Order: sequence, then C-alpha cells, then structure tokens
Amino acid sequence: MRLRGVKRYHWARDVDEALSLLSAYQGKGAILAGGVDLARSPRTDIEGLIDITGTELSYLRADSAGLRIGATTTLSAILDHPQAREYGGGVLIQTLRTVAYPALRNMATLGGAVVSAHPWADIPTLLVALGAEVTYQSPEGEKRLPLENLYQTDFRRVFREGVLVEVRLPPWEGAFAFAKITRNAGDIALLNVCAGLGLREGRIAWARVAVGARPARGERLTWLEAGLVGEPPTERLWEQVAQEVRARLEVGEDRRASAGWRREVAGVLVRRALAQAAGKAAL
Amino acid sequence: MKVYFELNGKAQYVDVEPGESLLSLLRRLGMKSVKEGCGTGECGTCTVLLEGKPVRSCLTFAPKVQGKRVTTLEGLGTLEDPHPLQRAFVEAGAVQCGYCTPGMILTAYALLETNPEPTPYEVREYLVGNLCRCTGYRKIVDAVLLAAEWKREGRWR
Repeated sequence: MRLRGVKRYHWARDVDEALSLLSAYQGKGAILAGGVDLARSPRTDIEGLIDITGTELSYLRADSAGLRIGATTTLSAILDHPQAREYGGGVLIQTLRTVAYPALRNMATLGGAVVSAHPWADIPTLLVALGAEVTYQSPEGEKRLPLENLYQTDFRRVFREGVLVEVRLPPWEGAFAFAKITRNAGDIALLNVCAGLGLREGRIAWARVAVGARPARGERLTWLEAGLVGEPPTERLWEQVAQEVRARLEVGEDRRASAGWRREVAGVLVRRALAQAAGKAAL
Repeated sequence: MKVYFELNGKAQYVDVEPGESLLSLLRRLGMKSVKEGCGTGECGTCTVLLEGKPVRSCLTFAPKVQGKRVTTLEGLGTLEDPHPLQRAFVEAGAVQCGYCTPGMILTAYALLETNPEPTPYEVREYLVGNLCRCTGYRKIVDAVLLAAEWKREGRWR
C-alpha cells in the first residue's frame, strides 16, 4: 500500500480540528483511525490524511444507559475490556473474536467498521440488531441517531463531511447471539445473523433479528420479530422461524454464494441464533 | 515529514512520505525480514509488533509509529544468537520457504506474552491470519507449543 497523492498527514488534536481540516480539504481529505480500509482503498484523490486517534475517542464505559464506546476504540480493546464481556449475554465477545484476526483487530476500530459499513461485514449486522445509536459531529453540529436509520440515508456523504465520535449500545433484559458462515476462519461472511430476545414468564417478551451479507448489509427482519412476541421459546417455534425466513427473506447472489444457498442457510442461522439467545436469556 | 520512533530498541528519526506504509519504511531501514505478500492485510507475512501488539505493516501508515515502539524479527534474534522461538521453529521443522516465518514468529511471540500456556486450539486461533503455503500448519503449531514449554521452563528472553 502507498496512497499516492497524499501530501500531508495531520494529527488532529480534537474533533473540531478534524472537522475543520476535513472541510478545508473540500472532499480531498480523509479521516483516519485504524486505517485498515483507507489503506486498501483504491482512491487516488486523497491529499490529506487526518488521524483522529489522538482525540481521546478510545474508551468503553458502562452505565445504566448501556455501553458507550468511542469511535477509535479498537476491536481488540473491546475484546479485552471487562465491561464488554457481559453485555447482551456476551454477544460482543462472541462476535468480535471471529472478526478477521488478531493483527487486524489490533488496528481496526469500531467507528471504522460503522463508517465503512461493508455489506458483508459482521459489525453492522451486530449493531443494527442491538439497536446501536451513533453520535457524530457534522458541520451543522452534533447529531445522534439510531444507526439503523442512518444506514437508510446517504450515510457515506455524512461521513465525508462529519466525524463519528461514539457508538452507544442500549441495555437489554435478555441475551443476543451471533452466527455466521465463512469459507475459512478469518474470512468475510457469506451470511451473518445476530438475534436476541428477552423472556417473561416463559414467553418471548421482545425479539430482534438482523441478517447481513445477503449480500446486502445487515438489516432487521421486523416481520419476523413481531410474530415471536408472546410465544414460548420451543424447538417447534424455531422450526417455524426457519421456514418463515426461508420463505420471506430477501437475498441475492454474488460470486461468493447463490441466492438459493443464502435463503436455505439464513433459516438455519436465524434458528440457531435465536435458540442460543433463548438459552442464554433463560439463565 | 519526520517521524521519531523506536525500532528494535534503537531510536530512529527518519523522513517518511505521508501516504507511505510502515512496510515500505521498515524495508528502507534495512528490516528485510518484513515481507510483502498480498499487500492487503490478508496473508500476515508483513506482521510487526507495534507497542508489542501484532499489526499489519502493509496497512499501517508510516506516520502512525510516531513516538511508538516497533519490533521486527531483527529485534528478536540474530543468525548467531537466535531467539528461543526461532530455535523452536527450526527444531520442529516449521520453516520451509521461510516467507511467512517472520510474521508467524512475531505473532506467536505476542501470543506467548499474553498467554504462556496456550492450547493447540488457541495457537491456531491466534495464528489464523498468518498464511503458510509450504509446510501446512501442524509443525508451526508444534513449534509454538514447544516454545511455550521452553518459556515456562525459563529458557526465554
């Protein structure tokens, strides 16, 4: 890798400085944290790199409102953080320990994964299922909204002009589980699923299911979630879920997998993830 | 631009291009153990330790090492005085063409720093991003387990 055309490397002291540098470059500047995606990008128009890893955005805090994770926190730092371990029935650890491999997890940041939002990536599927909210600084000021809503908009333009600062994960009474299929360990997913539920008096009180790499980016199956509420979490229910997912899920094909394969596997992975989440929620 | 950092225990004050990779910088400085394989972070042969943690030097922008510690294989051992991990790789027959070896050894070194008693599964899990096209992985895993044993016995540095 050598990004040709880069004239300057800036260490932003704070988010405001990063924003004003970004604006000064008029589209020819790029925010850099771990750099994993930027270094692989084929872009030749970047003249200024703006490193935000010195802006104190590497942190993880837990309180009654859930978890707050700074945008430049590396995946390794989340994995090593004691307060990340219990969240959502351990789903952060379960998911992140299979994202890429140690050397990349030491570089890649949570914010980078949110901003790059590769359709095959595991982290958007995880965060959408968890109902993550993101905070970013834009030229018009600070904004905070559900990531799911942001992904419905022209978010790439938003992040060309703004700086993501924090990801918030709400607290959940219940548990989540993550499931995916890859061709080999460390490879990108052919399909990924994050599902969670809460139980009240032996019945499902709420459910969240997101499926990604279809090959489109992870989105929730709200039609499936609604039908689960009030049902007891039994094998029979999971079998019905698998059938419904196979019948209704929108999937596509790419060079990695066919639509037929994805439809079949989605049923299995959603069933497995829900059953696993139910097992953890019942503990 | 100028970058100040510590390479294998020695201070460096060098010129880098702002868009240059750490891989390119290290090779310019004579660290020829750092190899380019894929150039996209997949293969692991360019792995170096940044502040003791494995990173891909092909995807790390050189200015990022400002004020930090970088370790390459040259910092672990020499031909005359190899590091115990290097000896273990030779003893277990874990080296064939050698291209992946520097990345394997540095990654294994970082693993043993945090987990001195890894299971074979944990070794495989940690080395998952380092590809070898010659020996297969069995002897590499054997080498790391042997080195872990030596480390527990105090034959280490």
